[in-house]
This record gives sequence, structure tokens and C-alpha cells, in this order.
Amino acid sequence: MDNQIESSPGKNSIYISHDILKSLVEKYNTKIKIVYDKRNRSKIMVEPENLVETAIFLRDHYGFDHAESASGTDYPKDNEIEINYHLGSYSNQDLLPYILVLSTKINRNDPKSNSLINIFPSVEYHERETYEMLGVYFIGHPRNERFLLPEDWADIPPLRKEFRIKGR
Amino acid sequence: MSTLEEKIDEAKNLSMQIVKDSEEDRLMTLSVGPQHPGSGHFRFVIKIDGDYIVYVDPDPGYVHRGHEKMCEYRNFFQNIPHLERPVIHDSCNITYSYSLAIEDLIGITVPRRGQFIRAIASELNRLVYTEYWLAIYGIFLGHSTMFMWPAGDRELIIDLLERLTGHRVTHAFNIPGGVRNDMPYNFKEKCLTQVNYFEKRLKEYEHIFYNNPLLRQRTEGVGILSKEDAIKLGVTGSVLRASGVPYDIRKVEPYDVYDEIDFNVQYMKTCDSFARAYVPYLDMIESCHIIRQLLDKIPESGDVREKLLSNVKGPPGESFKRIESGRGALSYHIVSDGTSRAYRVKMSVGSFRNLLALPFLLVGSKLGDMPPIYWSLNYWPVEADR
Amino acid sequence: MGSITPDFRFGNFAGSIVQLVLVVVALLTVLILPIIFFTLFFVPLPVVNGQVLTPYLFFSMMVDPSRTLPIIKFLIHTDYFRAAVFPGFGFSALIAAATIFIERKLLAKMQLRIGPLYAGKIEGIFQLVADGLKLIAKEIIVPSGADKPIFWLAPILFVSTSAAVVSLIPVASGWVVANVNVGLIAIFGILGFFPLITLLFSWASNSKYPFIGGLRALHQMIAFEIPFFLSALPAVILSGSLNLSDIARSQNIFWNIFVMPINAFVFYISSLAELERIPFDLPEAESEIVAGWLTETSGMIFGLIQLGSYLKLYALSALFVILFLGGWYGPQIFPHELIPGASASNISLLKIFGLVGLYNAVTVNSIFWFMVKTFVIILLMLITRGINPRIRIDILLHTGWYKLIVLTFINLFIVLTLIYGGILGPGGMISPK
Repeated sequence: MDNQIESSPGKNSIYISHDILKSLVEKYNTKIKIVYDKRNRSKIMVEPENLVETAIFLRDHYGFDHAESASGTDYPKDNEIEINYHLGSYSNQDLLPYILVLSTKINRNDPKSNSLINIFPSVEYHERETYEMLGVYFIGHPRNERFLLPEDWADIPPLRKEFRIKGR
Repeated sequence: MSTLEEKIDEAKNLSMQIVKDSEEDRLMTLSVGPQHPGSGHFRFVIKIDGDYIVYVDPDPGYVHRGHEKMCEYRNFFQNIPHLERPVIHDSCNITYSYSLAIEDLIGITVPRRGQFIRAIASELNRLVYTEYWLAIYGIFLGHSTMFMWPAGDRELIIDLLERLTGHRVTHAFNIPGGVRNDMPYNFKEKCLTQVNYFEKRLKEYEHIFYNNPLLRQRTEGVGILSKEDAIKLGVTGSVLRASGVPYDIRKVEPYDVYDEIDFNVQYMKTCDSFARAYVPYLDMIESCHIIRQLLDKIPESGDVREKLLSNVKGPPGESFKRIESGRGALSYHIVSDGTSRAYRVKMSVGSFRNLLALPFLLVGSKLGDMPPIYWSLNYWPVEADR
Repeated sequence: MGSITPDFRFGNFAGSIVQLVLVVVALLTVLILPIIFFTLFFVPLPVVNGQVLTPYLFFSMMVDPSRTLPIIKFLIHTDYFRAAVFPGFGFSALIAAATIFIERKLLAKMQLRIGPLYAGKIEGIFQLVADGLKLIAKEIIVPSGADKPIFWLAPILFVSTSAAVVSLIPVASGWVVANVNVGLIAIFGILGFFPLITLLFSWASNSKYPFIGGLRALHQMIAFEIPFFLSALPAVILSGSLNLSDIARSQNIFWNIFVMPINAFVFYISSLAELERIPFDLPEAESEIVAGWLTETSGMIFGLIQLGSYLKLYALSALFVILFLGGWYGPQIFPHELIPGASASNISLLKIFGLVGLYNAVTVNSIFWFMVKTFVIILLMLITRGINPRIRIDILLHTGWYKLIVLTFINLFIVLTLIYGGILGPGGMISPK
């Protein structure tokens, strides 16, 4: 058991993020929108139909290999649900502290999105949770079913904004 | 009147039916939990063929309380006491990343002494959590002494945390802007004594538990999660480090004062259940070193808290902050719309991410391997349910 | 003050007490005295000290202490006494209770705990009584769809089978309930019933976890029965007898453990497996199969099975002592008379306190050494629980079938060599007779 290692945290990750974002913009120019680019964090917004393509590009070219989290946010005013995948990398040493938020916005009345389960298997339970909490149907996910909620849950998905906690 | 062919077909169908039934009969469906002594607040349905597990379906959610929804109705400070409920043994860590995310949203920095106290509380809480986890790992393997020893030694650290925060288990100590109180009088010396004694006790665990040949037989080579699989499944914390990936958020993305601390990332390359049981133990030893350095480097005086209004507002935006908790990366994704309440809070917890490895590891293993594999995943059911 | 109710009248209270006394007296006259007389007059009474034990003699025991001892001496040599009290059930149940208490205290000390504390003033000495009362008071839940006759019968069978094993154990020369010439074979035969009872009970429970536990118990006990028997074989060869008393008597020069240490080790491991104690408690593995074959037990059914398993623990430890540790032999430490000169004197009180005629220094010494050795072995069996985790079923079967059986043969060959070389055994250079 050799415990003595010096892991090299990506000191220059901020430049790496510039690289990634630049190449993404070059490839998809208008279809992609950079929301913010902070230290170790950046967020890009893609169209729902480009989601899988972008994810495959990120995985194959930059070594993003897992999703830290996948979640959704409900925006009833814009009639949209935003889906965020927080992608990170264990294998690319430069990207260790870096997290890229891959987002897409889908219609709130017919929430359907392509599942990333074939690209990042780690999103399986996160997507299943998003399905039951926000009612987003993930095309290609094998089990769009109940996960955390009670078996007899018969209300609207609880993280939608029109679901109110009693007494609040 | 049926013809001969029809009769033959009928007989064939019948025999097919019999074969199908007997195939089904071979399997026995067991519901492990929520009242099973080897499950926690959690259930997984398993099917066994003889002694081999052929199908696993985890079914969490028995203690789902909707913390993410509750956060949308309370202001940033009111969230602290209920957010530590998912894992009360690690409460200083689960509120740590929340505070970091809120501070990032509002745009303030914590005073330096406050950062140090936060780190000390976080490391002490890591010890408390890991001791509790280790105790349950011991009793899951039938080792009753290993159940009692860590559960008893945990009291040492709980006493320290009680002196520091005023509460034994649920501290509500980390808040956006710093920590609630300064260190009490004489805390430094007391902490050093307790931690030194605790390190001596840790050595004895090795003698009675980790070097036991029966334990080695039972856990070595069991539930192998290779490096590739671990990365693919996106596991985190000790599970990931036991699979040979030296990934510790304190090292790769140092928050607060961790970039001034000298420590090693403990990892093993054997990828089995024993490694997953041993890495948290090594982490505990490392935590003791970290606490000693923190106590050494802490500024003698200064503020511990940036005073904020109770309904503090930040600009609209979002923040994603993570820390290394006892179970791995613990991250908050907080979206703010400019009011004093969060618009959306998403907790991504280590337990929930490690759960994905459970069906992967259990299918094909023996029924007797179920407890060492399940609990070595560092899974805390209440935290995963949130 | 507050305890006396407002409508309390002393007259009523005294009256109720008088009524109670009258009822008791009436019952005594009408029922109990006739029963005593019936027993004493119509049951043929034995001869004690040349006199027939008449009711007069029996009652005079309370008046004249010098007649007590012969009657007690007569009583403790009856078969009923042996089966029910001294080397039989009562004695072993007491040891089982002491074992449970010692186990809890010992484990507590090993684990930096206190253990039982509150029941009884001294160190929770009455904890077991409290537990027993609780178990008796609890409801016995029979699962729906259970095979009721077998479900009720199995715990009783378990205890009686354990008691049957105990009845074959001699604690001193001549002190055994059943002195049979095939004692060792009888013990192994009776031990073979336990997997059957376990499987019947687990099947009768109509539940999944007990079923898995029962199957595990069956696997485990069959795998360990063979090394168990083989490890006892050289002791039989050395003594030339299957009678347990003879096997113990053959070791008055040297203990068998010096000739066959490997077999003693194998016997110890196999008895742990037979007893389902901690490294081998797979049939009751808590974190895997809830409580194994005991999952559906409740109340006194559980209590009986626990009692049976601790009786079995005593029986197997005693068997280890008889086979390997020289039985009851040890240095004579008790004096020949409890009070020096008591048998020669004429003072009857001195004779009674000196237990003249009842006290046999050799027997008491034998029982003492036997108990000391047995408790050492019991402690050895208890201590594994504190330091070991449970092992897996495939490792267990591998240990039983591949390792222990082979180990027993090594020592068997050593013993055979010594016997054919004319060193040990009947008629050898070092032989007991």
C-alpha cells in the first residue's frame, strides 16, 4: 500500500476551460451559448437536440467521464424546465477541479429530453430522480419510474413550482 | 375433436410452461430491508439462485423528507438546522458546502480564523462519522468488539465537538459567513490530548480487526470494482479511492484553508471490499494529522464570522460548491433569483452516487458477501434519500 | 399517606386476613395432608441404615438432625436425583445459566462496556432471571401458515436432545446418569439429531429467512460431523473402550492432549461449528438472513432454544475434557475429612457439619477438577466471539471437508504408530493399568 503520491491539481484549469469553450463554440457556433465562465466552473446551454452530440464530444475529446449531478429547475414564467448535467473528470489530470455544467431547456408542457445514460452511466439514478421530481421523461432511459417518493404518490411532481408545501 | 398436431402443440406448450415455472421456482426473492438488521432505512429486493445473487433492485426513499423543496421556502440561515438532518453524524460537513455555495452567491469571504475553525470542526466530524460507519461495518461482519470499540471512542470526539459547538450531534455550527462561535477557552490543549489518545486507539483497531485472518478471508477479493468501472459509475470518496483513483476534493480543489495543509490522499489499488473498508480508516489517521496542523496554524485572535443580515440577498445567479465529506464529494447546486430565498437547491451527495455501484457489485456475488459489499460502499441511507 | 384509600377500614383488613388464613388451613386439611399421607403410606419406602423409611422416620428428620444424613445420602444415589438434579439436567442448566452470565460480562469487559448491571444488587447477577421472566411473559407468535405441531414441538425436542447429550457425561468416577458402554457413539448419534430439528423447525416456520438458515445449518453440521468424529477416534483407540468413564480413567497417567494436540484443536473447531458460535454462526447470521432459523421464534420458544444451545455448549466442553484433558483427574486438594476428627467423635452436631458418611474427598476433588477444566474450555469457546468476525459458507465448507478431515488423519497415524510400537495403549510401556 503505497500511500505517498503527489496528485497534481490542475493549476491552469481556467485556461483549459477557455480551450474547451473555444472549441465548442467553433464546432457548434450558434447552437451553443456560454452562460458563465468562472474559476473552475462554466456553464453552457445547448439545444435539446444537440445534447447527446455535445456530451459525446466532451467525453471523447476532453475526458469528461462522470456526472457529479444531474438535476432540473422549473421556470413556470418562461414555461421551461432547465436540465443541468454537472460533468467532471477523474481521468484527465488537468480537469480534476473543473466542472462543466451542460444545460438544456425543454418545454414544460411536454417535458421530454434525451437521456445521457449511454454516454455517462453515472447519471442513471439522477435522471430517475429528475423524472419523478420534475416529471421530465428521459428518452432512452430504461426505468422512468418512481425512486424516492412513496409508492402511492398521486400528486404532481413535487419540485414543480406549483406544488406547494402545506401551510407555507 | 382436436387433431393430433393440436394435441402435440398443446403438450409442447404445457411442457414449456413447466420448464418456465421451474426456472422461476429456482429463484427466491428476498426483500432486504427496511426491517432487516442488515439494511438500514433502505430496501433492496434481491433474487437468489442457491447462494448466488442474480438480481438486485435498490429501493431507497423510506426517509425522503424533501429537503430540496423545503429550502425553497426558508431563507439561507433557516435552512441550516434542517439541512444537517440527512446525516447528523457529519453535520459540520453537510452544512460546509452549503455555506460555501451561499458565500459564493453573496460574494463574501469568511475571516481567516473562522475558516480554520470550520476546517477543524469538519475534520472532527469526519472522525465521528467514520467511527460510526466502522462500528456498523464491524457488526455487519459479526465482529461485536469492532462494533463497541468505535462506538465508544466516538464519544471522545463528540465531547470535543460539544465543547466547540454546544451540541453533541446536530451542531448547526457552519453558517453562511463563518461559524457561530469562537473556540472555547483551553480548547486547543484539550483537542490535542483527545486526538493523541484517539490515534493510539486507532492502532488497536488494526490489531483486532484489519489484521484478523478471518476478516481478510471474508473481504479480500470480494466485490471488485475496477478503476474503469469506478470512473464509469461516477462513484466518489473512499469507494473511488479504494479503486485506485487518488481523488480527494481537499487536494484537487482546495477550499478555505486546505491548500496550506500538508496531507496525503490515501488510496489503495486492490479495488476490493477490504480496500473500501481500509481507506476510511487511513483517512481517519490522516484527519488526525490535519487537525494537529490546523491547531498549529490557527491565528491567535480575530473574527470568526462575517456578520450578515438574516434575510441577506445576493444577485441572481447560480453556484456549485463541493467539499470532501465522510462519504465523498458533497455538492450543492444553488440557483438564486435575487430574493432572500433560494430558487432551487440540489444536493448531490456521495451516498446517492455510490448507490449505483451496489447492483453492479452484488449481482453474481454470494449472499454471504452482501453485508461487506453493501456497507463498504460508504452508503448512508438517510443522506441518499434527503 | 397517599397509599391508604379513603374508604379503608382496619376491621375489613383484619377480617380479610383471617379469611385468607382459614382458607389456607382448610386446603391443608382437606387436600395436602391426605396427599402426603397417601404417598407415605402406600408408596413402598426404601430401607435406610437397616430401618425401613417410615413416615415417622421421615418426619423425625426435622427433629433429630443425626438421622438427616443417611436419608440425604440415600436420596442422592437414586436415579431420579441423578437425572433431574446432580450430573443431569438441573446441574447443567445451572452451568448454562452461569455460562450466559459469564459470557455477557466477559464480552462486556473485552468491549470496554459494563454489561448487565441493574438486575440484582451485585453486578447484575439476576439479569438472567429478569430475562427469563420477560421471555415467559412474552406472547408467542406463530406465523400464519406454519406447521403448528412441529413448530411447538421443535424447541422442546431441542432442549431434550441437549439434555440427552448431557446425561451421558460423567463428572466423576461413577457419577453419570447413563453409564453405557457405547457412550461416545451415543453422543455422536444424539448430536446428529440437531440438524434434523433445525431443518424441521425452519421448514415449519413457513418463512424464507429461516429456510435459508436451516439449509445452512444442515450444510454446516454435516460438514463438521466427520472431523468431529474422526478427531475423537484416537482417544478410543488409546483407551480401548467407547465408555466415556473408561476413556477418562485411561488418562490417569498422562492426558491425551499431549499425544494428539492436533485432534484436540480439530475437536475444538468442530464443536464451535456444532454449537453455531461466532466464527461459525452462519445459520443465525444477523446481517445476512435476519436471525436465520431463529427468525420466527418468540417468547419462551426462543428461551428454550437458547437454553438448549447452552446445555450443548456445556456438554461439548465436558466431552473435550473427558477426551483430551484427562477427565476428572487432578491433584488431591480436598482434605479427607471436612472437620478433622468428626467421624470419631460422638457429638452429633459435629457429625452433621462434618457431613460424615456423605462427604467423599475423592469424589469432591474429581468434581472440582472436572468443573475447573470444563470452565476453561467454556471460556475458550466464549472468547472467540469477542475477537472474530463471521466467516462465509463456502470457506466454512472448505474448512470442514478439506482441511479438518486431513488434519485428523495426521494425529491418527501418530497414535497408531505409538500403539504398534508398544509404547502406548492397552498393554503398552506407558499404560494406566
